[in-house]
Amino acid sequence: MTPGRVIAETKDLSIGYHSRRRVFTVMENLSLRAHRGELVALIGRNGTGKSTLLRTLVGLQPPLGGTIILDGRALHETGSSEMPRLVSFTSTEPMTVHYIRVRDVVSLGRFPHTNWIGTLTEADRRAVDGALEATGITALAQRTIDNISDGERQRTMIARSLAQDTGLMVMDEPTAFLDLPSRYATVNLLRRVTRESGKCVIYSTHDLDTAINEADRIWLMTEDGVSEGAPEDLMLTGSIARAFESPQLSFSSGDGSFSFVRTRHSSIALEGKGRAAKLTARALSRCGYNIESQASMTVRVSNSAGGTEWIVTEGQETESFDSLYDLVTYLSARSQ
Amino acid sequence: MRERRVRNALLMPGLVLLAVILFIADLLLGSTRVEPSEIFTALFGNGDQGVEIIVMQFRLPKAVTALLAGAAMSVSGLMMQTLFRNPLAGPDILGVSSGAGLGVAVTLLTLTPLFTLSSESLLAGWGLILAAWTGAGAVMLIIMAVSARMRDIMTVLIVGILLASAISAVVSLLQYFSNEAMLKTYVIWTMGNLGNISYNQIRTLTLATAAGLFIAFLMVKPLNAMLMGETFSRTVGVEMQKTRVLVLASASILAGSVTAFCGPLAFIGVAVPHIARLLLGTTDHRILMPGTAVCGSAILLLSDIISNSPGGGHIIPVNSVTSLIGIPVVLWIILGKTGLGRRF
Repeated sequence: MTPGRVIAETKDLSIGYHSRRRVFTVMENLSLRAHRGELVALIGRNGTGKSTLLRTLVGLQPPLGGTIILDGRALHETGSSEMPRLVSFTSTEPMTVHYIRVRDVVSLGRFPHTNWIGTLTEADRRAVDGALEATGITALAQRTIDNISDGERQRTMIARSLAQDTGLMVMDEPTAFLDLPSRYATVNLLRRVTRESGKCVIYSTHDLDTAINEADRIWLMTEDGVSEGAPEDLMLTGSIARAFESPQLSFSSGDGSFSFVRTRHSSIALEGKGRAAKLTARALSRCGYNIESQASMTVRVSNSAGGTEWIVTEGQETESFDSLYDLVTYLSARSQ
Repeated sequence: MRERRVRNALLMPGLVLLAVILFIADLLLGSTRVEPSEIFTALFGNGDQGVEIIVMQFRLPKAVTALLAGAAMSVSGLMMQTLFRNPLAGPDILGVSSGAGLGVAVTLLTLTPLFTLSSESLLAGWGLILAAWTGAGAVMLIIMAVSARMRDIMTVLIVGILLASAISAVVSLLQYFSNEAMLKTYVIWTMGNLGNISYNQIRTLTLATAAGLFIAFLMVKPLNAMLMGETFSRTVGVEMQKTRVLVLASASILAGSVTAFCGPLAFIGVAVPHIARLLLGTTDHRILMPGTAVCGSAILLLSDIISNSPGGGHIIPVNSVTSLIGIPVVLWIILGKTGLGRRF
């Protein structure tokens, strides 16, 4: 895929806020880009200023310095009446209204396009229908917002943003509070939106897994600045590992997953095949065993018609268990 | 979708019809028993002298006032609930009612003794109305100044509540130092009265209500956006400061004028918007706002009919009636299966 036209660009952008006549700079010298048809994930640890960056991008707070260029025009030259047609924003602001129908929420996305009282024209209705369909919530259109799941509510917000019909859609943590399948479904939907409509979606998230697996481009925010690139670029340069690793957590650049750093206190040998053996290795690793080919203690996984059995041998002693839980409990008790 | 449309298409004319029926009933029923036929002939100016006085001087102005005040208070409450994103917001919460009360209290309890005016002449004339208006207007200006400065609308709500408390403390103090006759006049004012209003004053109330409702109607679109929160409203192009000032101005003109002419009407501003939401099943202000206005008129007309206890020869304070009708309704909404929060 060749990248589309640049839709959002920042040049030497400084972000932050004014408070009691003092200026708090959150981050400086940000030069970032996002293209049409791209899914951009903004990741970074808590407090690095992800929301501040997004809010500055959509014009909710003024930049402290530098320029933002949206669709070829500098933000400060864009009138406040034009902004809603260029960029839409979905915040984490909680809904206080519950008795409102999904369709009415999505229709509010047409706000910048409707007349003074908000009458929906035929074109507006088509846009609303299209947004409902693209997000797969047509069947929920008449349900009220408190009668649908968190994932469906997030879809509703995405539909509202789609209905606004802007080239750039900015979303602050659209996957917060969602369960794992809904998180994947939401990010996948965002990706599909960028593919099908050629829009650019920039979203912030704490969910590295989905970001690394689905985003075209990552804006990685650390205290030293923002690095950008394909997820794999940032894995290759070790940026992601540096940003998120801690004494307790290590990042595997091979498959883009995190694991806890464990103190290994003893080694153990494992015999067996198949899924049961893999899961046994995982359980042993979880309680601090290094798995070696030769060790004073051996765990043998035996699969039989009656089920799986685990046999621990150490010298002359032999114990058998019929669940991993029992095995792990036994080993933990022994090692103390 | 279709069902909802049909329901709304039938509901609105139904509500209007109900308000019209209640308006006529309010003319026909009263503490003095008068035959309906006599009332209709009196309305067209060729009836019995006594009946004509009852109808033209008492019942008609009172019914018109109930119609206007009900619509004005309810729409004011609806806008405040949306603006402050709080189902319990209303004209009383913002301090508009207490501001009017302060104006009245200051006039009645301090100025009157100084200038030895009679409290009866004040109740009937423009004195108290101007005082109430001044008080409500002063509070409105403070609230608007705060809202122009504060980003967070919740701060404005808190300032309004604090202001109301401070004002009621001052009023208590004034009451403590005032004489019995003045105190009684003040207490009677706080009970609400739809009947103490002349045709001149009705003209003013009509103008104020029309102006307030006109601004309110212009705010329908931004009010709808505000349902989604302030951040959303700003990103779809709502000019928040301008909208806030206009909504507050409209809400204050509506509530302030009604309070000036009729006293602090309890419950109407807070409860009627919920009743309208429940009936119309929508949060869309394009439907909800006219619906709320009509519901408010109907409910205040009904309250007035009850307060005149037809045939009983007594008049009970209209505030007691609105509270006694309203509190069970609000409780039912809060505790019912649908829940107040869910209907908001």
